[in-house]
This record gives sequence, C-alpha cells and structure tokens, in this order.
Amino acid sequence: MTLPPSSSSDPAAGALGLPTAEIAPPEPDTPVTPGTAPRRRNSQFTDIWRRFRRNKLAMVGLVIIAVLVVLAIIGPFITPYDPFEQNLLNTLQPPGSSHWFGTDVLGRDLYSGIIYGARVAMIVGVCTVAFSLLIGVSLGALAGFKGGAWDAVISRIMDVFLAFPQLIGAIVVVRAIGNGVATVIVALVVLGWVTTGRLMRGQMLALREAEYVEAARSIGADNGRIVRRHILPNAIAPVFVYAFTSIGVAVVAMASLSYLGIGVPPDIPEWGRLISQAVNFLQVEGKAFLWIAPAAAIAITTLGFAFVADGLRDALDPKLRGGN
Amino acid sequence: MGKFILRRAAQAILVILVATLLIFLATFALGDPFASTGEKAVPPAIAAANRAKYGMDHSLPVQYLTYLGNMVRGDFGIDFNQNRPVSELLAATIPNTVKLAVAAILLDVLIGVVAGVIAAVKRYSFWDVLVTVTSTLAIGIPPFVIGILLVANVSGWGPFPPVPRSFTVQVNWLNELILPAFTLAVIDAAFIARLMRGSMLEVLRADFIRTARAKGLPERTVITKHAMRNSLIPVVTYVGISLGVLFGGAIITETIFQYNGVGYLLSRSIVQNNAPVIIAIVVFSVVVYVLLSLIVDILYAYLDPRIRLS
Repeated sequence: MTLPPSSSSDPAAGALGLPTAEIAPPEPDTPVTPGTAPRRRNSQFTDIWRRFRRNKLAMVGLVIIAVLVVLAIIGPFITPYDPFEQNLLNTLQPPGSSHWFGTDVLGRDLYSGIIYGARVAMIVGVCTVAFSLLIGVSLGALAGFKGGAWDAVISRIMDVFLAFPQLIGAIVVVRAIGNGVATVIVALVVLGWVTTGRLMRGQMLALREAEYVEAARSIGADNGRIVRRHILPNAIAPVFVYAFTSIGVAVVAMASLSYLGIGVPPDIPEWGRLISQAVNFLQVEGKAFLWIAPAAAIAITTLGFAFVADGLRDALDPKLRGGN
Repeated sequence: MGKFILRRAAQAILVILVATLLIFLATFALGDPFASTGEKAVPPAIAAANRAKYGMDHSLPVQYLTYLGNMVRGDFGIDFNQNRPVSELLAATIPNTVKLAVAAILLDVLIGVVAGVIAAVKRYSFWDVLVTVTSTLAIGIPPFVIGILLVANVSGWGPFPPVPRSFTVQVNWLNELILPAFTLAVIDAAFIARLMRGSMLEVLRADFIRTARAKGLPERTVITKHAMRNSLIPVVTYVGISLGVLFGGAIITETIFQYNGVGYLLSRSIVQNNAPVIIAIVVFSVVVYVLLSLIVDILYAYLDPRIRLS
C-alpha cells in the first residue's frame, strides 16, 4: 500500500475504500481543445453510469435517495397531520388507520413526523456536505498545488481540527453558539471540511507531477487552467465518493446530537429526537412503534448513501473492484 | 527514529495547545459557562468555588492561563450535580470506558481480520460475497440504531441477556460490557474487514508470496506468516485512531446502554448543563485522541521505515 504523506492519522479514506490518486485510473487524454470536450465527457459519463447501473445495491441506494429528496421537497404537503401539532389527549396511540405509525409522547402523528424529518435530515446532510466540500476542496487544492508555506499553514490548521472527535467537536460548537438547524450545520462543517481537505490535498500532490500536467504546462496553460481543466476533473472522484458517504454521516451526527438533547430545537420533528423521546419505552411491550420508525428512517437513509457511495467508487474506478 | 519521535511529539503538544485554546475560546469567550446551571439549584459556595477555580473575575488571558493550569493539574473544579470534584467523577468513569474500548477493539480486530483474510483468500467465493455485503450493511447502519435495537432486544427473545435499565440492579461486568462492546465493534469490524481484504489482495500478488510458495511452504504458512503480517499495517492505524475515539468516551453507545463511562457522564452533564464536567471531558477526549494518534504514528514509523525517512 502506497502512502500519501502524513496519511497515518487519517484512516477514513483508506477504510472507506476510496480510490486514491495512486490507483486512480490514468486518464491522460483529458480534453485540451474545448471543442471536443462535451462529447468526450459525455462518453465517460455514460461509461460510469453503465458500470454504476450494474450494481444492484447502488441502484437501491439511488432509489432511496430519490425518495428522500422528493419527501424533503413535497413532504409537508403530503403529511396527513401537522407534524408540529401536539395533542396531549391522544398520546402514545399505537399504529392504526388514523395514525399509520401511531402518535408520540406529545400526541404528534409519527408518520407526519418521520416525513417531515426527512426534510430536516436532507437539509442538514446536503448543506453540511456542500459547505464542507466548498471549504475542503478549495483549501485542500490550495495546499496541495501551491505547497510550501500555503501547505504548511493549511496542514497545521487541519491537524488542529483533526484533534477533535466528530461528536465532541460538534458539542463544543453547538454549546458555544446555541441550538438550531443552522447551528448544527455549522458545527458539522467546522469539523467536516478537514477530511475532504486532506483527500484533496493528497490528490493534488500526486497529480501535479503527472505527465499530462507537465504537458499542459509546456503548451503554456496557466495555473488556474491547469487546476480547473486538468487536475480537478481527475482528482475529484474520491472526494465525490466521500461526499456521498458523509451525507449519511452528517445525518447520523445530527440525530446523535438531538439524542443528547442539543442541536435541532426540540419542537422540530427530527429522527434522533423522536428516538430519544422513545428511549424510556424501549423495553415496554407494545410501544416499539415509537422507535422503530425513526430508527428505520435513519438506517435506511445512511444505507442509501453508503450504497451509492460504494457503487460510485466501483464505477469510477473499475480496477478497485478487481473484476477487470 | 529518536528525531522523528521528538518532532512528532512537539507537533502533538502544539496541536493540543491550539485545540484546547479553541475549546477555551468557544466556552469562555462566547459567554459565561457557569451562568446557567440547569434545573438543579447549585449551592452558592460551590458556584463561587468554581468561579474562583477558573478565575472568572479576571480578564480573558488570565482566565486562559488559569484554565491551562487547571488542565495540567487535572483539576477541573466541582461538578454542579453531585457537588463532587470533577476529577473524582473522571477517575470513577475512565476505567469503565477503557474497559469498554479494549473489549470493543478486541472484538472488532478478531472479527475484522478473520473475515478480511477469508474474503481475500477465497476471493469471489460465497464467503467473499458474504463478507463484502455484510460489511457494506454494517457500515451503512449507524451504531446508534444497532444499540437501540439491542437495548430493545426485539420481542425479548434476542440472543442477548436483557440489559438492566437501573443502577440499583447488580449485573456481572461481562453482561454489562458485552452489548455496548458489540455495538461499537460492528462498524469497526466492517471497516477492518474491508481494509484487511484490500491489503491482503495486494500483498498476495507480491513477489515474496510467490517466492514463499515456490520454495514449497504450506499455503497456511504463506497466508499467516507472510501475507497476513504484511497486510496488517493499515489495520494498525485504523485500530489506533479508533482507540483514540473510544478512550475519549463512546458518547452515544454509552448513553444508550447507560454504561457508566466518560461518554455517558458527558451526555448526562449536557442535559444538566454541568459546565465543569463538560469542559473536563471535552479536554480529556481531545488530549487522549491526540496522544493516541501520536503513539500510532510512532508505531507506524517503527513498522514502516519509509514513513520516518520521508
């Protein structure tokens, strides 16, 4: 196993089986002439999609994600009840025709709560990963491409943030700036960008020495063009795979914070909070409906993103699959 | 090697200093951590003792130095809930957390390495598919959900003994340990199986394996003595980092099982808004995490000379 410099304290990439630059497929003929770009990119995309489609688990994951996204968008219009509405005369109702999943300790309809929870989970998951990518890719690329002082400063900053286990760091941030959905996103981004940053930096370090980069430089392309047109398209694959995994991770982190009683405000139906409300009923017979639905929602969501990440990894880099 | 250790240790100390400075800023500069003490009334003497301990009536820089001093001495004031010194609470819970972490790691290394080796050696067989699919599932389902399932012990006929939900019930330590350890081990075992499978496949293609086979060694020796040893390096790193997280307290798992460790103490303290305990545990987790990464890096450099030379 070839090791990127100082990779020793970052097992995440390897453990996730992400393709790293060393084993990424060489694609020396990245288009240089703008005219041929669309067609080639298209065919590469078709290739990836063809390989991705063959992976059944990945397709299941894709369907799960599609359903989640649809629920997140139209959820509030299709819930049978107002997910916020409490009815203390009608608490802990078992699942039935009027309340499909039953009602929770506050008498809220659980089915509506779960659907609304998809919106909360998607907003937190997608925003967290989008901002983490933005920061991580820019800083990681800067560190890896510029090297020298840039690399030293950015790497030391990353070292400091890496010193926080994810949940501990999130707890510190949330306690410092207060509860709220936006707060949770900030807390998760503060720590989430680092892994992306390190991945990107490693890719940059490996690829900036590549022959096609040298070739581009020799025909007079400037740094911006080299990074945008030549390095990024080849470096982004593992980052992209990681992004899918980390949406699931962000959803779990959000649920964990709510389970601990901080983060998303208590009146918003959120899966982790729904579980924490059910925690005293875990071993009460006949009350399992209280936690089964939210626990299943979390598990299905993370599985969906994990499946897609896996499928993408294999599709982007068939060599890793070993099938050849 | 000595130079490498020295440089890496200096770096770790620097990281701890900056990270704890960030914790300080987030806790003290953005507000008074002792202003709200949760639902329970705190005796004025205790509140005053804590304010004095953290130098709350001085300027921020002085507060920071006081906080650093407290940190070095391991003295974090008096907790708001039981009015006991925080260090006493930590001393009572750390051994439990360490026990849990070690149990979880033993479990996941055992399962992960065996599964990974089998999958790699019997590539494309039923076992390989089983390991690959199971590990994908295990990585996808958060420990959070697995823990809830185990505690609920679906319909009572699960394979595990029921977990007592109260501190007054005495259980033997093994029963208390086994479920949370298993919960923690699931995801790590899956990651280790994957890592192990990947690195085994790579090593099995190496020339020295062909040499070993060519000189007539039995396949078992080739696998255990030659291939496995050389495939373990990525697993060592992963285990080290994992230990770092677990020693700092497996917050969610400990809370779900009401396991009396650092993580459960932290989650209760969050509910109680018990600032002295929260500060202590956060600092503790970060320091432990950094120190364990340091140890892993040194171990790594020892195992693989390429690292310390680069």
